[in-house]
Amino acid sequence: MIRVRLHQRFVRFTLDVDFESTGPVVGVFGRSGAGKTTLLHALAGIVKTAEATVRIDEDILCQRPGEIWVPPESRRLALVTQDPLLFPHLTTRGNLTYSPRGRSALQEAYGRRVVDVLRLAPLLGRSPQTLSGGEQQRVALGRALLSEPRWLLLDEPTAALDAELSREVLALLLEAKRSLGVRMILVTHRAPELLALADDCVVLDAGRVVAQGSPLEVIAKPRGVGVANLVGVDNLLRLAVERHDEVGGVSWLALGAGPSLGAGQSLATPLIEALAGDRVDIGLYAEDIILSRARPGATSARNCLTGTITALDPVGHEVLVSLEVGSVALRCRVTPGAVRELGLAMGQSAFALIKTTACHHLSAYRTLLPDG
Amino acid sequence: MSAEERAVVGLALQVALWVVVVSIGPGIGVGWALARWSSRWKLLLQGIVMLPLVLPPIVTGYLLLRLLGRSSLLGQAFHAVTGGHIAYTSGACVIAAAVVGFPLLVESVRLSMLSVDRRLELVSRSLGRGRLSTFCRITLPLSWPGVVSGLVLAFARALGEFGATMILAGNIEGETRQIPLAVYTLLNRPGSEAAVVRLTAVSVGLSLVALVGAAFLAGRRRRA
Repeated sequence: MIRVRLHQRFVRFTLDVDFESTGPVVGVFGRSGAGKTTLLHALAGIVKTAEATVRIDEDILCQRPGEIWVPPESRRLALVTQDPLLFPHLTTRGNLTYSPRGRSALQEAYGRRVVDVLRLAPLLGRSPQTLSGGEQQRVALGRALLSEPRWLLLDEPTAALDAELSREVLALLLEAKRSLGVRMILVTHRAPELLALADDCVVLDAGRVVAQGSPLEVIAKPRGVGVANLVGVDNLLRLAVERHDEVGGVSWLALGAGPSLGAGQSLATPLIEALAGDRVDIGLYAEDIILSRARPGATSARNCLTGTITALDPVGHEVLVSLEVGSVALRCRVTPGAVRELGLAMGQSAFALIKTTACHHLSAYRTLLPDG
Repeated sequence: MSAEERAVVGLALQVALWVVVVSIGPGIGVGWALARWSSRWKLLLQGIVMLPLVLPPIVTGYLLLRLLGRSSLLGQAFHAVTGGHIAYTSGACVIAAAVVGFPLLVESVRLSMLSVDRRLELVSRSLGRGRLSTFCRITLPLSWPGVVSGLVLAFARALGEFGATMILAGNIEGETRQIPLAVYTLLNRPGSEAAVVRLTAVSVGLSLVALVGAAFLAGRRRRA
């Protein structure tokens, strides 16, 4: 269990955080400048905030005012940052055994497991400068894990990597969580990472906790426009697989029966590896949906869903249109000009055109690794 | 080279080596403080340390004499304890040369420690290494080329030290007379041109070897 209460005024913003979580993986989510990194640094003990309470299980790591201050080296909270920050004058092995516990940990079953999971064995004798970005991040993770931390503090560990490498690192984190039982605080601004890894999610905005809950709860049902904007994925749908059309290259998901038009419609997505009846998570960005008043002719978009407009919310220079299709509400982003020209209004029916490739299969992150 | 000249060169080398020995600890400590402290006293410390770089060496020597001479409090205390004196000894040569060379060492250490990514130190702390351990395992090894070149500069500067040494240690043959003082003395002695040329050559040679050696060491360290 981790209990955090921090208060500190900075020049740009005030950090005022108060939460408690049992993890095992706590996602800290928010846009840059929200105070995520400062929060991690305060936990690690490398930033002293004016008021601070950090408790891990039964141990009090700091209590200010109250003058309890456990120095960073005694907290057993290992920091892994966006840059791997390997020690350049040491080999991979030197980096892995750097922590006081590292040398003995490497000899034990746990250490061998870490080397195994992160595939570090071939890298041991090499110097950090000769490693690729992904390899460096693997070593950084291994170095942190071998210090046998109580919690791993991850500061956007995939931000500096390309999409493929970040999926790989994510898979390794997932594996570390599953097979090594590591507890983590994961700071990120990528929603899919939260869905893949976090059990509990804390959303920060301007230094404050604006939401906490399971990632799906926080992301799918954002409370307040602020959280919705932060999350960035406008439509998050958990749908049951109906059938696969392997020749057509699509999987069909049931949109469910709703009170209005469109009951019994299906959503076409790229082929998903899941059994019929399985529920999968689909992310869909509001700007990837085209609205039409009339049913269009033949198009390459596999989805032409019909629904009812239930809301029109101006957001900045755009309008967020909510379209009720079956049991789900799709948020679609259009320009005010489009609203005027099409005469979009509450209660009207409209068609939503969606390419299959715009439907992002989020559960894919969960199935990167075989269960077990 | 005459026996007299060999003694001069030998003493110069001894003094310069002792300068390296006594400066290394304080030089690393002060360089680190100037690189990592954020206190407002840092500027004052930096000013004091850099002072010998801009003061006329003779003035530095005079201040040292007031501080350590026979009539000073420290000088008297030293005499009471050991029965000896600081001023006008080869020890005084070391002190004068160390003080004058200190800013060169500190500046070199400071710059190389500034170039060590602080986040490496923070990661080290979070991995369970304390301040001192982090310093010895991360900061110092990574700034080592700067420390070495600072020490070499201090060494070379000690070989060339003249003004402060003359005031604090005098020009005593066999005791405090090193290369610059010997050259100065020989220039005033008719018919010693050959000796002056020999000492000059030794002076240039030693300094060059030291500087090239330092550059080589620093380069090799960086490539390693």
